[in-house]
Amino acid sequence: MSRQPVVVVGHVPTPRGRAALEHGVEEAHRRGARLVVVNSSRGDALVDEEYLQGDPLRRLQDELTVSGLPFELRRPIGRDVAEELADAVSETGADLLVIGLRRRSAVGKLLMGSAAQRILLTVECPILTVKGPPRPT
Amino acid sequence: MGALSDLLGGFADALTPVNLLFALLGVVLGTAVGVLPGIGPAMTVALLLPVTYTLEPTTAFIMFAGIYYGGMYGGSTTSILLNTPGESSSIMTALEGNLMAKSGRGAAALATAAIGSFVAGTIATLLLALVAPVVVDLAIGITPADYFALAVLAFVAVATVLGASPLRGLASLGVGLYLGLVGTDVLTGQERFTVGVPQLSDGIDVVVVAVGLFAVGETLYVASRLRRGPVEVMAASGSYLTRADLRRSWKPWLRGTALGFPLGALPAGGAEIPTFLSYAAERKLTKHPEEFGRGAIEGVAGPEAANNAAAAGVLVPLLTLGLPTSATAAIILAAFQGYGIQPGPTLLSTESSLVWTLIASLLIGNFMLLVLNLPLAGVWVKLLRIPRPYLYAGILLFASLGCYAVNADPLDLVLLLVIGLLGFAMRRYGWPVAPAVIGLILGPVAETNLRRALAISSGDLGVLVDTWFSRIVLALAVLALVLPVVLRAVRGRRATPEELQAGEGLRHRETVGAPPADEEER
Amino acid sequence: MSVSPDPDVSTRDATGAHASAGGRPPAPPRTGVSRGELAMTVLLGVLGVYLLLDAANIAIPGSSNTIGPRFFPYLIGGVVLATALALGFRVLRGDRGPADESEDVDPDAPTSWVAVGTIAAAFLGQALLINVVGWPLAVTLMFAVVAWSLGARGVVRPLLAGGVLAVVVWIVFVKGLGVALPGGVLLELATSWF
Repeated sequence: MSRQPVVVVGHVPTPRGRAALEHGVEEAHRRGARLVVVNSSRGDALVDEEYLQGDPLRRLQDELTVSGLPFELRRPIGRDVAEELADAVSETGADLLVIGLRRRSAVGKLLMGSAAQRILLTVECPILTVKGPPRPT
Repeated sequence: MGALSDLLGGFADALTPVNLLFALLGVVLGTAVGVLPGIGPAMTVALLLPVTYTLEPTTAFIMFAGIYYGGMYGGSTTSILLNTPGESSSIMTALEGNLMAKSGRGAAALATAAIGSFVAGTIATLLLALVAPVVVDLAIGITPADYFALAVLAFVAVATVLGASPLRGLASLGVGLYLGLVGTDVLTGQERFTVGVPQLSDGIDVVVVAVGLFAVGETLYVASRLRRGPVEVMAASGSYLTRADLRRSWKPWLRGTALGFPLGALPAGGAEIPTFLSYAAERKLTKHPEEFGRGAIEGVAGPEAANNAAAAGVLVPLLTLGLPTSATAAIILAAFQGYGIQPGPTLLSTESSLVWTLIASLLIGNFMLLVLNLPLAGVWVKLLRIPRPYLYAGILLFASLGCYAVNADPLDLVLLLVIGLLGFAMRRYGWPVAPAVIGLILGPVAETNLRRALAISSGDLGVLVDTWFSRIVLALAVLALVLPVVLRAVRGRRATPEELQAGEGLRHRETVGAPPADEEER
Repeated sequence: MSVSPDPDVSTRDATGAHASAGGRPPAPPRTGVSRGELAMTVLLGVLGVYLLLDAANIAIPGSSNTIGPRFFPYLIGGVVLATALALGFRVLRGDRGPADESEDVDPDAPTSWVAVGTIAAAFLGQALLINVVGWPLAVTLMFAVVAWSLGARGVVRPLLAGGVLAVVVWIVFVKGLGVALPGGVLLELATSWF
């Protein structure tokens, strides 16, 4: 039996993270793949609204269970999202990484850096970047 | 009705554009530091002391009062939404408040806390206006020996009653009293404990000590045990107060006020004990005992009202006797001294317009806080997205600013660091910081009164127990010193908030000397 | 959907980020005599002895028949020494103080003396640099070092954040409120038209 393909999704509880998740689920179904959802936090502030905890976390777990896919939820803390995703991809030998994109002005990119850019440069597998939910089929 | 017309006059002075602006600035700053970890109202007022000497005293005190009240509101927001009470007076709010937020009633919890704080703050501030002239009338005949007795009671109470370890409280108080001794003796002009350093002959500035113990000490302590990872934030979901919520809240608000104001006004004041008692009372009196431990609105309404009423109560001994009973009050006392004003029985007559404007602006600031906090709680929580490295680096930046501004002498900054390291060690080994600040500020006042009393009696120590007043107060001080030791020996340590929630009331656990190792999973 | 405050199923995972309830995280029961506690107590005792000894050196001017500048120091010295003795007795019997709680403190973390040392050194450096390079530059450097030692990433961002904050604060407090803070040559030239 050949190895089951793996799709990694970088998820945050925002519209773009939502879009990435939906595309990821769709791709995993299409490829018959296992889904690895990564929701990470730098963990350097008392509040990080992009890190899932409590009820939203349970809802995500329920949703992934309902999707019927074999899935794994990773919630690492302490490093940059690009490093965490690169780790998840190389460790699982992923076939595809799905991330959501957000618009940033030139100044914003200069100050904050672009996470997407760092991911594109570090991650070793094909990457699907999405801006909105998949079209209904 | 003298107080009422004085208060109206105060409103006339407080309602100028400049004073309103500084009241707003104060409450915004106060709420922000109440929400942010690592900074509190005491430290903020201390940092602003040197930079506000260019302001009118009235304007400066309006801002300080806003910071003082604002810190209470900010603390309740984080208690409810994050379960991280910034100050000990918000611990009881966190118990039921966070559970309410978890079960989707965050908005109602925030509303009962904010409105309860507003109701209690308003009633207690009006009581302050009514009680202050009466206390002044009583205090006008007070002798230096009486005053010394009061100071001793405040020292002992702050050191032993409030903290978890009475001996460590006394140790901290001793350090503060020592720091207050360094410098030139006011009565004889002799240098004491200056170890030959000329800069120390003016004494160690209050700002250096307060900012060192609070800001630098806290930063070093956090750096030594930095927490990584975010905490869970609850949404302020659900409806604001329903009619049923209001029916269940108004009595706890009033009871909390009734507990908080008098206990805050006692020399053994502070806001922690009234919130404990209020929670215990609401738990006993509620018609919904099954909800306690699952998010009972009474358990938020009562303690929140109690802590704001206690904050106003603390101002009674501060304004009428010059007796600070909390760290923030001690620093406000230092601010008065910086302007050459000595709070005490004569303050109401010599600085009448200042006091009444201050009280009026407390009422105005309280209203501003209600408007700022009820709809904007979520916005304040956004402040907590500041990464810790930047937050604490920023705190040190402001510490440097405030301290350097005192004398424009880099040596003050070195001293600040030394005291900061002391503050770090105190935190690490469980010595409370507040008694040191109160000892530093109240110590010299106590010494002056002691020596004045002994000068009158030509050195006869009997003068210290000459009046009934001083006898009773000193007896209370001895009681405050001995009682915690006896209680610890007889009944074990004090109940923790979690035990209180679990319904063990104020009974004491039988474990002597064991560190609190409570299971906190609910 | 019925929402009930059920026990957290997943906030205490391997990440080590636990939600602190009531600000009272469980402390592991520790036993034995703590060296640090003992050192603090000894220092307190030394302070008490110093107060008592040095109080005797305070000059008493003139022939006053009332108590002079020595009485209160003796009183405090006595109280401090007595407290140190009582505390030492308890510490030797294994009593430990409850370490301070704070939102950003992980009570189970081992003490990072490196971070404490770095920050203290950065602060000292800043104190010595103020009169040389001006307050804004000195605190910018301190800000960056403190931020790095607390885990900030990158070289540019901490310096930039510290620099912008320092300059803004300097302008507000010096130009707006008249506080005396040396701005350094460049900044004072650039803002001399205020």
